Amino acid sequence: MTRSVWKGPFVDGYMLAKAETSRASGRNEIIKIWSRRSTILPQFVGLTFGVYNGRKFLPVQVNENMVGHKFGEFSPTRSFTGHSADKKAKRG
Amino acid sequence: MDRALILMGVIGKPHGVRGAVHVHAYTENPASLADFALRDQRGRTIDLAWITEGVARITLHEPTGKHIVADRDAAAKLVNLQLFVERSALPPADDDEFYLADLIGLAAIGADGTTHGTITAVHDYGAGASLELDDGSLLPFTRAVVPEIDLAAKRAIVVPPIEIPGEIEVRE
Repeated sequence: MTRSVWKGPFVDGYMLAKAETSRASGRNEIIKIWSRRSTILPQFVGLTFGVYNGRKFLPVQVNENMVGHKFGEFSPTRSFTGHSADKKAKRG
Repeated sequence: MDRALILMGVIGKPHGVRGAVHVHAYTENPASLADFALRDQRGRTIDLAWITEGVARITLHEPTGKHIVADRDAAAKLVNLQLFVERSALPPADDDEFYLADLIGLAAIGADGTTHGTITAVHDYGAGASLELDDGSLLPFTRAVVPEIDLAAKRAIVVPPIEIPGEIEVRE
Protein backbone atom coordinates (compact mmCIF):
# COMPACT_ATOMS: atom_id res chain seq x y z
CA MET A 1 0.00 0.00 0.00
CA THR A 2 1.33 3.44 -0.85
CA ARG A 3 1.90 6.10 1.75
CA SER A 4 -0.94 8.58 2.31
CA VAL A 5 -0.39 11.82 0.40
CA TRP A 6 -1.49 14.03 3.31
CA LYS A 7 1.49 12.82 5.40
CA GLY A 8 4.03 14.07 2.88
CA PRO A 9 7.33 12.32 2.18
CA PHE A 10 9.14 10.80 5.14
CA VAL A 11 12.59 12.11 5.95
CA ASP A 12 14.53 11.97 9.19
CA GLY A 13 14.48 15.49 10.61
CA TYR A 14 18.17 15.91 11.27
CA MET A 15 19.03 15.36 7.62
CA LEU A 16 17.44 18.61 6.52
CA ALA A 17 19.61 20.55 8.96
CA LYS A 18 22.73 18.62 7.90
CA ALA A 19 22.00 19.24 4.24
CA GLU A 20 21.47 22.92 4.82
CA THR A 21 24.72 23.24 6.76
CA SER A 22 26.65 21.31 4.11
CA ARG A 23 25.24 23.41 1.28
CA ALA A 24 26.01 26.65 3.10
CA SER A 25 29.61 25.63 3.74
CA GLY A 26 30.24 24.96 0.04
CA ARG A 27 33.04 22.58 0.95
CA ASN A 28 33.84 19.17 -0.49
CA GLU A 29 31.83 17.19 2.07
CA ILE A 30 30.16 13.84 2.42
CA ILE A 31 27.32 13.52 4.92
CA LYS A 32 27.38 10.08 6.53
CA ILE A 33 23.88 8.84 7.20
CA TRP A 34 22.26 5.66 8.46
CA SER A 35 18.77 6.67 7.41
CA ARG A 36 18.19 4.49 4.36
CA ARG A 37 14.44 4.98 4.76
CA SER A 38 14.49 8.73 4.20
CA THR A 39 13.06 10.07 0.96
CA ILE A 40 15.37 12.13 -1.26
CA LEU A 41 14.03 15.68 -1.33
CA PRO A 42 14.78 18.45 -3.86
CA GLN A 43 16.83 20.19 -1.13
CA PHE A 44 19.38 17.36 -1.30
CA VAL A 45 20.15 17.71 -5.03
CA GLY A 46 23.83 18.38 -5.63
CA LEU A 47 24.98 17.06 -2.26
CA THR A 48 26.87 13.83 -1.62
CA PHE A 49 25.75 11.47 1.12
CA GLY A 50 27.50 8.42 2.48
CA VAL A 51 24.66 5.93 2.92
CA TYR A 52 25.37 3.06 5.27
CA ASN A 53 24.74 -0.39 3.84
CA GLY A 54 25.51 -2.34 7.00
CA ARG A 55 29.22 -2.46 6.29
CA LYS A 56 30.37 0.82 4.79
CA PHE A 57 29.12 4.21 3.68
CA LEU A 58 28.55 4.20 -0.07
CA PRO A 59 28.82 7.63 -1.74
CA VAL A 60 25.50 8.76 -3.21
CA GLN A 61 25.65 11.87 -5.40
CA VAL A 62 22.10 13.18 -5.44
CA ASN A 63 20.67 14.42 -8.74
CA GLU A 64 17.18 15.49 -9.86
CA ASN A 65 16.23 12.05 -11.14
CA MET A 66 16.63 10.58 -7.66
CA VAL A 67 14.08 12.86 -5.98
CA GLY A 68 11.24 10.80 -4.49
CA HIS A 69 13.34 7.65 -4.13
CA LYS A 70 14.75 6.42 -0.82
CA PHE A 71 18.44 6.70 0.02
CA GLY A 72 18.64 2.96 0.61
CA GLU A 73 17.85 2.25 -3.03
CA PHE A 74 21.28 3.57 -4.02
CA SER A 75 23.29 1.72 -1.40
CA PRO A 76 22.78 -2.01 -1.96
CA THR A 77 23.44 -4.32 0.94
CA ARG A 78 24.50 -7.11 -1.37
CA SER A 79 26.79 -6.35 -4.24
CA PHE A 80 28.45 -8.16 -7.10
CA THR A 81 31.40 -6.35 -8.63
CA GLY A 82 31.72 -8.41 -11.80
CA HIS A 83 34.34 -7.90 -14.47
CA SER A 84 35.41 -4.53 -15.79
CA ALA A 85 35.77 -5.59 -19.48
CA ASP A 86 34.81 -2.57 -21.62
CA LYS A 87 32.76 -0.85 -18.92
CA LYS A 88 33.34 2.84 -18.35
CA ALA A 89 32.84 5.23 -15.44
CA LYS A 90 31.94 8.88 -15.91
CA ARG A 91 33.46 11.41 -13.58
CA GLY A 92 30.65 13.50 -12.04
CA MET B 1 48.70 -11.88 -16.60
CA ASP B 2 49.55 -9.20 -19.12
CA ARG B 3 47.95 -5.90 -17.99
CA ALA B 4 47.44 -4.95 -21.64
CA LEU B 5 44.98 -7.81 -22.02
CA ILE B 6 41.45 -7.27 -20.76
CA LEU B 7 39.16 -10.19 -19.97
CA MET B 8 35.99 -9.82 -22.04
CA GLY B 9 34.28 -13.17 -21.58
CA VAL B 10 34.63 -16.87 -21.12
CA ILE B 11 33.45 -19.88 -23.07
CA GLY B 12 31.01 -22.13 -21.25
CA LYS B 13 29.57 -25.55 -21.93
CA PRO B 14 28.88 -26.92 -25.43
CA HIS B 15 25.46 -26.40 -26.94
CA GLY B 16 24.16 -29.12 -29.26
CA VAL B 17 26.31 -31.39 -31.42
CA ARG B 18 27.48 -28.96 -34.11
CA GLY B 19 30.19 -27.20 -32.16
CA ALA B 20 28.22 -24.30 -30.72
CA VAL B 21 29.14 -23.13 -27.23
CA HIS B 22 27.62 -20.98 -24.51
CA VAL B 23 29.58 -17.75 -24.09
CA HIS B 24 29.49 -15.60 -20.95
CA ALA B 25 30.15 -12.04 -22.06
CA TYR B 26 31.37 -9.50 -19.51
CA THR B 27 30.95 -6.57 -21.87
CA GLU B 28 28.51 -3.71 -21.30
CA ASN B 29 26.46 -4.98 -24.23
CA PRO B 30 26.89 -8.78 -24.47
CA ALA B 31 26.17 -8.81 -28.21
CA SER B 32 29.13 -6.50 -28.84
CA LEU B 33 31.58 -9.22 -27.84
CA ALA B 34 31.61 -10.45 -31.43
CA ASP B 35 32.82 -7.02 -32.62
CA PHE B 36 36.13 -7.26 -30.76
CA ALA B 37 39.34 -8.88 -31.98
CA LEU B 38 39.40 -11.62 -29.38
CA ARG B 39 42.35 -13.77 -28.45
CA ASP B 40 43.18 -16.29 -25.77
CA GLN B 41 46.14 -16.45 -23.41
CA ARG B 42 48.12 -18.53 -25.90
CA GLY B 43 47.82 -15.76 -28.48
CA ARG B 44 45.35 -17.54 -30.75
CA THR B 45 42.88 -15.25 -32.49
CA ILE B 46 39.26 -16.22 -31.95
CA ASP B 47 36.28 -15.35 -34.14
CA LEU B 48 32.92 -15.49 -32.50
CA ALA B 49 29.57 -15.52 -34.33
CA TRP B 50 26.39 -15.43 -32.30
CA ILE B 51 23.78 -18.03 -33.22
CA THR B 52 21.28 -17.02 -30.58
CA GLU B 53 21.39 -15.19 -27.27
CA GLY B 54 24.38 -16.45 -25.30
CA VAL B 55 25.26 -19.19 -27.81
CA ALA B 56 27.95 -18.76 -30.44
CA ARG B 57 30.00 -20.56 -33.04
CA ILE B 58 33.78 -20.32 -32.59
CA THR B 59 36.58 -20.21 -35.15
CA LEU B 60 40.16 -20.53 -33.90
CA HIS B 61 43.06 -19.08 -35.88
CA GLU B 62 46.08 -21.20 -34.98
CA PRO B 63 49.57 -21.06 -36.52
CA THR B 64 48.64 -24.14 -38.50
CA GLY B 65 45.59 -22.46 -39.96
CA LYS B 66 41.95 -21.72 -39.42
CA HIS B 67 40.04 -24.24 -37.34
CA ILE B 68 36.25 -24.07 -37.25
CA VAL B 69 34.84 -25.76 -34.18
CA ALA B 70 32.24 -28.03 -35.76
CA ASP B 71 31.53 -30.83 -33.32
CA ARG B 72 30.68 -31.23 -29.66
CA ASP B 73 34.01 -32.86 -28.70
CA ALA B 74 36.00 -29.94 -30.09
CA ALA B 75 33.63 -27.53 -28.36
CA ALA B 76 34.08 -29.35 -25.04
CA LYS B 77 37.83 -28.67 -25.24
CA LEU B 78 37.12 -24.93 -25.20
CA VAL B 79 35.18 -24.92 -21.93
CA ASN B 80 36.50 -22.19 -19.60
CA LEU B 81 38.63 -20.64 -22.35
CA GLN B 82 39.01 -17.00 -21.45
CA LEU B 83 38.52 -14.41 -24.17
CA PHE B 84 40.74 -11.34 -24.03
CA VAL B 85 41.12 -8.20 -26.04
CA GLU B 86 44.14 -5.94 -26.25
CA ARG B 87 43.65 -2.68 -24.35
CA SER B 88 44.75 -0.75 -27.42
CA ALA B 89 41.88 -2.29 -29.40
CA LEU B 90 39.22 -0.59 -27.27
CA PRO B 91 37.79 2.62 -28.73
CA PRO B 92 38.87 5.86 -27.01
CA ALA B 93 36.65 6.94 -24.13
CA ASP B 94 34.73 10.23 -24.15
CA ASP B 95 35.69 13.28 -22.11
CA ASP B 96 35.59 12.55 -18.37
CA GLU B 97 34.91 8.89 -19.11
CA PHE B 98 37.39 6.22 -18.13
CA TYR B 99 37.56 2.50 -18.69
CA LEU B 100 37.31 0.66 -15.38
CA ALA B 101 40.28 -1.42 -16.49
CA ASP B 102 42.33 1.79 -16.66
CA LEU B 103 41.23 3.09 -13.27
CA ILE B 104 41.76 -0.14 -11.36
CA GLY B 105 45.34 -0.32 -10.17
CA LEU B 106 46.01 3.42 -10.20
CA ALA B 107 47.78 4.83 -7.15
CA ALA B 108 45.65 7.32 -5.22
CA ILE B 109 47.94 10.19 -4.30
CA GLY B 110 46.91 13.20 -2.22
CA ALA B 111 47.49 16.75 -3.41
CA ASP B 112 50.34 17.01 -0.89
CA GLY B 113 51.97 13.82 -2.18
CA THR B 114 50.70 11.44 0.51
CA THR B 115 49.72 7.99 -0.64
CA HIS B 116 46.12 7.00 0.09
CA GLY B 117 46.32 3.54 -1.46
CA THR B 118 45.48 1.85 -4.72
CA ILE B 119 42.16 1.81 -6.55
CA THR B 120 40.86 -1.75 -6.38
CA ALA B 121 37.30 -1.40 -7.68
CA VAL B 122 34.88 1.04 -9.24
CA HIS B 123 31.23 0.88 -8.17
CA ASP B 124 28.16 2.47 -9.69
CA TYR B 125 24.79 1.73 -8.17
CA GLY B 126 22.91 4.47 -9.98
CA ALA B 127 24.08 7.38 -7.85
CA GLY B 128 27.38 8.21 -9.53
CA ALA B 129 30.54 6.16 -9.68
CA SER B 130 32.72 5.65 -6.62
CA LEU B 131 36.26 4.40 -6.26
CA GLU B 132 37.19 1.77 -3.70
CA LEU B 133 40.74 1.88 -2.36
CA ASP B 134 42.66 -1.12 -1.04
CA ASP B 135 42.02 -0.06 2.56
CA GLY B 136 38.26 -0.38 1.93
CA SER B 137 37.54 3.35 1.83
CA LEU B 138 35.23 4.73 -0.84
CA LEU B 139 35.59 8.00 -2.70
CA PRO B 140 32.99 9.63 -4.93
CA PHE B 141 34.27 9.78 -8.52
CA THR B 142 33.80 13.52 -9.00
CA ARG B 143 35.99 16.36 -10.25
CA ALA B 144 36.18 17.75 -6.72
CA VAL B 145 37.46 14.50 -5.22
CA VAL B 146 39.51 13.21 -8.16
CA PRO B 147 40.68 16.38 -9.92
CA GLU B 148 43.45 14.78 -11.94
CA ILE B 149 44.02 11.36 -13.49
CA ASP B 150 47.32 10.52 -15.13
CA LEU B 151 46.91 7.16 -16.84
CA ALA B 152 50.44 7.19 -18.22
CA ALA B 153 51.94 7.66 -14.75
CA LYS B 154 49.33 5.26 -13.29
CA ARG B 155 48.20 7.66 -10.60
CA ALA B 156 45.18 9.70 -9.63
CA ILE B 157 45.29 12.83 -7.50
CA VAL B 158 42.60 12.57 -4.84
CA VAL B 159 41.21 15.09 -2.37
CA PRO B 160 39.19 13.01 0.10
CA PRO B 161 35.99 14.80 1.14
CA ILE B 162 35.41 15.96 4.70
CA GLU B 163 33.16 13.42 6.40
CA ILE B 164 30.31 14.84 8.43
CA PRO B 165 28.80 12.23 10.72
CA GLY B 166 25.03 12.11 10.63
CA GLU B 167 23.12 11.56 13.84
CA ILE B 168 21.90 8.13 14.76
CA GLU B 169 18.23 8.24 15.51
CA VAL B 170 17.52 7.89 19.23
CA ARG B 171 14.31 6.03 19.98
CA GLU B 172 12.59 6.77 23.24
